[in-house]
Amino acid sequence: MLPSTLVENVLHRARRGGADFAELYVERWRRRQLRVIDREVNEATSGIEFGAGLRLFYGTDVVYAYTNDLNEAALTELADTLARLRGEGGEVDASGAGGLDFRKATPTGLHAPELDFNMHPKRYRLERLREADEGARIAPEIQQVEARFIEWEQDVLVANSEATWTEDRRVRSRLVVQAIAQNDSDVQTGMYGPGLSRGLELFDHYPPKEAGRHAADQALTNLRAKKAPAGTMPVVIGNAFGGVIFHEALGHLLETTTVAKGASVLSDKIGEKVASDAVTYVDDGTTPHGWGSSEFDDEGAPTERTVLIDKGVLKSYMVDKLGALKTGYRPTGSGRRQDYTFAPTSRMRNTFITPGDTPKDDLFGGIEFGLYAKSLGGGQVKPGTGEYNFAVREGYIIRNGKVEEPVRGAMLVGKGPKSIQKIEAVSSDLETSPGMCGSISGSLPVEVGQPHLLVSELIVGGEA
Amino acid sequence: MTFEEAKQFLLKRANELEVDAEILADETRELTLGAFEGRLAETTQATRGGIGLRVVVGGKTGYASTEERSEEALEWALREAKENAELQSGGDGFIPAGRALGRKDLLSEGLSAPVEQKRETALELEKTFRQDERLKQVSLARYSERETSVSLASTKGADGGYRTGSAMLLGWFVTQQGESLKEGIDYRATREYHSLEPGRTALEMLERTTRHLGAKPLATGKYTAYFEPRPFAQLLSVFMYMLNGKSVREGKSRLKDKLGTKIVSEQMTLVDDPTLPSGLGSRPFDSEGTPAAPVTLIENGVLKSFLHNSETAKALSQPNTGHASRSYKSTLGVSPSNLRLSPGDGVSKTSGVIVTDVMGVHAGANPISGDISLQALGLLVEDGEIVHPVDDFALSGNLLDLFARISNLGSELFWEPSGTGTHVGTPEIEIPDVSFGGS
Repeated sequence: MLPSTLVENVLHRARRGGADFAELYVERWRRRQLRVIDREVNEATSGIEFGAGLRLFYGTDVVYAYTNDLNEAALTELADTLARLRGEGGEVDASGAGGLDFRKATPTGLHAPELDFNMHPKRYRLERLREADEGARIAPEIQQVEARFIEWEQDVLVANSEATWTEDRRVRSRLVVQAIAQNDSDVQTGMYGPGLSRGLELFDHYPPKEAGRHAADQALTNLRAKKAPAGTMPVVIGNAFGGVIFHEALGHLLETTTVAKGASVLSDKIGEKVASDAVTYVDDGTTPHGWGSSEFDDEGAPTERTVLIDKGVLKSYMVDKLGALKTGYRPTGSGRRQDYTFAPTSRMRNTFITPGDTPKDDLFGGIEFGLYAKSLGGGQVKPGTGEYNFAVREGYIIRNGKVEEPVRGAMLVGKGPKSIQKIEAVSSDLETSPGMCGSISGSLPVEVGQPHLLVSELIVGGEA
Repeated sequence: MTFEEAKQFLLKRANELEVDAEILADETRELTLGAFEGRLAETTQATRGGIGLRVVVGGKTGYASTEERSEEALEWALREAKENAELQSGGDGFIPAGRALGRKDLLSEGLSAPVEQKRETALELEKTFRQDERLKQVSLARYSERETSVSLASTKGADGGYRTGSAMLLGWFVTQQGESLKEGIDYRATREYHSLEPGRTALEMLERTTRHLGAKPLATGKYTAYFEPRPFAQLLSVFMYMLNGKSVREGKSRLKDKLGTKIVSEQMTLVDDPTLPSGLGSRPFDSEGTPAAPVTLIENGVLKSFLHNSETAKALSQPNTGHASRSYKSTLGVSPSNLRLSPGDGVSKTSGVIVTDVMGVHAGANPISGDISLQALGLLVEDGEIVHPVDDFALSGNLLDLFARISNLGSELFWEPSGTGTHVGTPEIEIPDVSFGGS
């Protein structure tokens, strides 16, 4: 995207104020979104994002700047401004003075699309979204269906003063169907939103009609659901997006962004038992075509499969470049950022609990009264205390070992480190599901996942 | 190309292609200074801007945007916007007739101060946090400012712009007492850098958080809830979805057929006022160029108006309230500016739970159904006295039902960040018999 002589010049100028490290991130991103309500196009939009971010380290202090102006004059001015902003240190002869011999890395195409976005006209997407609408019309109570298709093509270049030169291309697509069910007294919603690092072949992996039916089923279930009970009880959490609980309660506490400052309750706990034996927790940036996958991270390092917790014992954090500098832990290819407007920090990619050996039915077997949280919505965590919450999107009462009537409006709350100690059993039906994760370096595509699992007690917020 | 040149280029090309177009350009300058252990550990300086196009061809509307201002990128955006419009099978979209709107400056000298002084501001915030012996760690102690220039032009004659901005203190820290940990994430924003008081703000942020140390579980049951202004502002911002003309038009608001009827407690009067001089959500005109004016949404519990842009107003045959919102990257929407809930006679706390913080609003509140189930923190009150802090519970209900049962409003108004960018002014609120799920 930029000539290497210009990149080298910018990195060199930026370090003149005495910076230990300089990194330039350049990005061009093409996005489209088509939103259809009741079969009609409601909004269609396209956009180009285009910009660069320049980051300097002085020890572990960080200076960052970004701009949309990518011509030579603007970029060199940006480098000069940054060097000046720090406002200290003299002129030093940067190691780059003799020229950086960039080690160039480019993607092998592990996550490349089979059907590029230009293989079909826009109308093709519209037809698929209309199929999703059709699939959702399974009962008269389904009053409205909204279907969206999102497509991203992101080209990035990361170059730094350690002679890294990495180019990567990330292509992602996502289908989101929301169904609204209504009767005389109530309105409820259901949602289904598959997404992958793929092109238009997403529609073959997730036929739109079935996606529509999933959303409608959930809306209808919620419409006949009673209000969830309140109190502390055993909870069976469903697979796939159920994994969001550990994304919030555990994953965020293992990012060096908080670990390094001692601001995570799980700081300095490598080698310690932090979860029950049933828990092995993995963050994998290499899953082929995973929603959170990429060949390289946003600091130009190859991604990898990182085992975070092995049978309850903490093995690794998720480590970015700055995190490695601060903590001494090995970088894990986890430096991620929403776009050029954010400096990268350590973030999750595709994070999941690995399969266990308890048959799924046995999870419910011993429960006299509890909650089956079949599908979850989003959640939130405070990493310093581990306090988390997340919403149950589809839930059922468990009575005497059996899944009975649906309930809605439940919120699961607790403190992460306590909850993971209470995971009693894990079944074998691992599935993952896409989501968007918001944190210090912006909003990022991630997968969460798990098999069905049993937590011996959680606080359920519902109707008292 | 400069923004001005790009705008002129697009207007000319739109006229040549015989499409109606509205061009919205905005550019933001940002400075962030973060302190850690007495050093300035984080500095960010940035500019970001782009051009957003709304194009109407024969009543069909399409959008596109670009941050790249080359001729090629602008042509791409125009072509995409036109193609996007043509995907609609029909429609009554239009670009409203516009006029010269002038250039306004809402920021003036608000952010004028040497950068050295702003560094001291960040350092003082962090230093004051660390002086508290209960402080365990500081995650972020930041001064940040942003300045945004908005420019609007259309083939229908709209032409104008304005500049706005704010300065902000952000604190994120963990406090500890014995085994009890409590985390604070808090901020203060203002139009005037010089009105920031980092030392005093740090103490306030600490107090808001440390009062929860030693919290005990709350027994499941029904309690009178005394909402402090901040958590109530969050509930109001979820509720605004139902008053949004776009949700109404799309049939997603439960209030769609309720204009002129009583929907909530008669003690509630809610006004949106984009003209408040100190309001962080203020603007001289909305993103379609409609001049700003206050609008009464709810008066003594009766629904008086929704918030509208030209498109939703026309579709519902209601007056346009001038609440169009659009950034260059987004499609035409509707949003409140400065929302104000009128104070009442006062709240006297006898027995119940003072709700001091709610979390997980993005997941735990369903704006379509109005159902909420939110993790919260609070203080237990018995016989008019605070007994101890409480945590590990969720409060739940339906917003319409909760708002209908408001029994008292505080006598003083507080302006709070809502988490969605809207500036919300609300008193404290008392609601009896709220469900709390705990231990």
